[in-house]
Amino acid sequence: MDDHLQLDLALSNTFNRNLPRNDEKKRRFDELFSDDEITSNKRTLPLLIWNDNRNLDCGCVDVEGDAVVGWPPVNSRMRKVAEHHRRESTAANYVTVDNGGGGGGGGGRLNSMYVKVEMEGIGIARKINLGIFGSYQALTAALMAMFGKRREMYKLTYRDKEGDWLLAGDVPWERFVRSVRRLKLLKKAW
Amino acid sequence: MAYSFPEEVLEHVFSFLSSDRDRNAVSLVCKSWYDIERWCRRRVFVGNCYAVSPEIVIRRFPELRAVEMKGKPHFADFNLVPEGWGACAYPWIAAMAEAYPFLEEIRLKRMVVTDESLELISKSYKNFKVLVLTSCEGFTTDGLASIAANCRHLRELDLRESEVEDLSGHWLSHFPDSCTSLVSLNMSCLGSEVSFSALERLVARSPNLRTLRLNRAVPLERLANLIRRAPQLVELACKQLKALSGFWDVVPSYLPAMYSVCSGITSLNLSYAAIPSSDLVKLISQCQNLQRLWVLDYIEDSGLEALAASCKDLQELRVFPSDPFGAEPNVSLTEQGLVSVSEGCPKLESVLYFCRQMSNAALIAIAKNRPNFIRFRLCIIDPQAPDYLTLEPLDAGFGAIVENCKELRRLSMTGLLTDRVFKYIGSHAKKLEMLSIAFAGDSDLGLHHVLSGCDSLRKLEIRDCPFGDKALLANAAKLETMRSLWMSSCSVSFGACKLLAQKMPRLNVEVIDERGPPDSRPEDCSVERVYVYRTVASRRRLDMPDFVWTLDEDSSLRYS
Repeated sequence: MDDHLQLDLALSNTFNRNLPRNDEKKRRFDELFSDDEITSNKRTLPLLIWNDNRNLDCGCVDVEGDAVVGWPPVNSRMRKVAEHHRRESTAANYVTVDNGGGGGGGGGRLNSMYVKVEMEGIGIARKINLGIFGSYQALTAALMAMFGKRREMYKLTYRDKEGDWLLAGDVPWERFVRSVRRLKLLKKAW
Repeated sequence: MAYSFPEEVLEHVFSFLSSDRDRNAVSLVCKSWYDIERWCRRRVFVGNCYAVSPEIVIRRFPELRAVEMKGKPHFADFNLVPEGWGACAYPWIAAMAEAYPFLEEIRLKRMVVTDESLELISKSYKNFKVLVLTSCEGFTTDGLASIAANCRHLRELDLRESEVEDLSGHWLSHFPDSCTSLVSLNMSCLGSEVSFSALERLVARSPNLRTLRLNRAVPLERLANLIRRAPQLVELACKQLKALSGFWDVVPSYLPAMYSVCSGITSLNLSYAAIPSSDLVKLISQCQNLQRLWVLDYIEDSGLEALAASCKDLQELRVFPSDPFGAEPNVSLTEQGLVSVSEGCPKLESVLYFCRQMSNAALIAIAKNRPNFIRFRLCIIDPQAPDYLTLEPLDAGFGAIVENCKELRRLSMTGLLTDRVFKYIGSHAKKLEMLSIAFAGDSDLGLHHVLSGCDSLRKLEIRDCPFGDKALLANAAKLETMRSLWMSSCSVSFGACKLLAQKMPRLNVEVIDERGPPDSRPEDCSVERVYVYRTVASRRRLDMPDFVWTLDEDSSLRYS
């Protein structure tokens, strides 16, 4: 299994054909985050996810929702419960855990603020954990590194919980993080 | 006949036989034993509702009191079986309503049950006592109202994991005041609020109530009240025990009530509750007689360690993922938790564990700690994750499981797995009855090892594996000794399905393909899904939807 091709599970040959190799960009992204977020040795859930064989032909792939049909094998009730908990945790409503028992490192963080990120002109969407950034600047820098583009060419927009698309940067960072549901980088007009 | 016992004596002897296997064996001895046995059989289990027809069952066993039946294949739980595939209960319910006026118990799993069926049940059996609907769908709270209103001697109503259309919470009030027979009530899958006062009154007049599974957030004071009225409870589950966090600090006056109940609790289902690890530990450490625990991974490794230290009677553990689709772990639950429990709980025999990393070393340790496992189901969220320490396949780890756990009856595997693991399984897993495989193996050899080696195999379900025609056709005869085989997103061709169906007339080979008629594509084209099961009913079932094809008696392709 090819470890640094993190974009697919290499289950079928036809699949490899459709994907751009992002190795160089991946190295820059790795440099930016020195923690466990993404290490080239650890296998992570692929960022590129498909629904079933039929979607192999289309260039644009959806990252949100079920990774593979019926995977992981949890039944519909469990899925609904997970969705419910996920929504609650991004609103940072959770009781924070005091794990006096001393479990693993970082034990008990119940919020993970993953949002989907798209870049205009690139078919493959990615996902990013907003919880690890502290400012718009840090976020934008990371996104540019992820997609390998220059910052001055793109503007960051986001969809809030009401469903409206807005330009990022107008509201304080904390408020932004609580309301953002999706990110999209658009090419600047000039 | 001069030398045989009178029928009544034989019947009396047979009445001590409860196991299906024993009764089946007895009926093979001679014609008269077959006849005597069939008139006194009271319970029947139909593992696949399409393996036999209602008429055949009714003709053979005219005096049943309890029927248990399963419909859709297990992978239907994960959306791998298209909607509308089948498993409708109504034909069975209707036939039994006529034939068995004294029927007392119906247990259905993964079947489509309509309100019509429920109403028919409630009106057809004077002495109806037990209704268990596991992972069923198709009915609403109106159907439940009929059951509540008409089944005067109802003891058990259990709707575990079923999908019920919630029209109103008032159905509970349909239980008449005269109904005092309830022993078990499980309505945890319902969405809307039920009248809590109706529930309280029901609990108050049910002295035999031992199991109570509720839905929704139960207000704290009312929960405590409920518990006080039902000191004989042994199973308790509430969907949202979020109220428990901080419970210990805020309302210490309720603690004695909780603690006294806790020591009696043997089964705890908290799999839908987001309770932080520290609170879980406080609750669990009071439940020293706990035998079964279902919990979310918020329990973390530290919580499992505490579990291992306090619950020495634990037999079954299920740890479900709180964030199954997140790419990164949101909690600190690793293979270590499972290792701790396997070390500390000597009676642990059944495990379902979701986690994000696993190693061969951990699996080997677990296998050596607990050779008494009978069910071992491991799900690593990344389906082809290797040993995270060595990056090797997990063949050795699972090999250790099947080698050490000689009584293993059920196994589910995930992770990076080659044909080698199937070789181990074929050689060692002689008591294995059910095997679930996903994203594993390299070639047909893997499937061949399993089909040729696992002597006790009854159910095999496979998805997304490179298994194809060769292993399937070479082991065709094996399939008649099994209940069913499911293969989806594998490499089984339509031609092979046809050949299998032709070779094995007592198997139903269903090609389930949503891309249109399989004969519109080349014969060597892989089918989306194939479901093979043995049957004594006619090969072609009458309720096939248009995406299912089977071969008819004259080998012509048949679809609805």
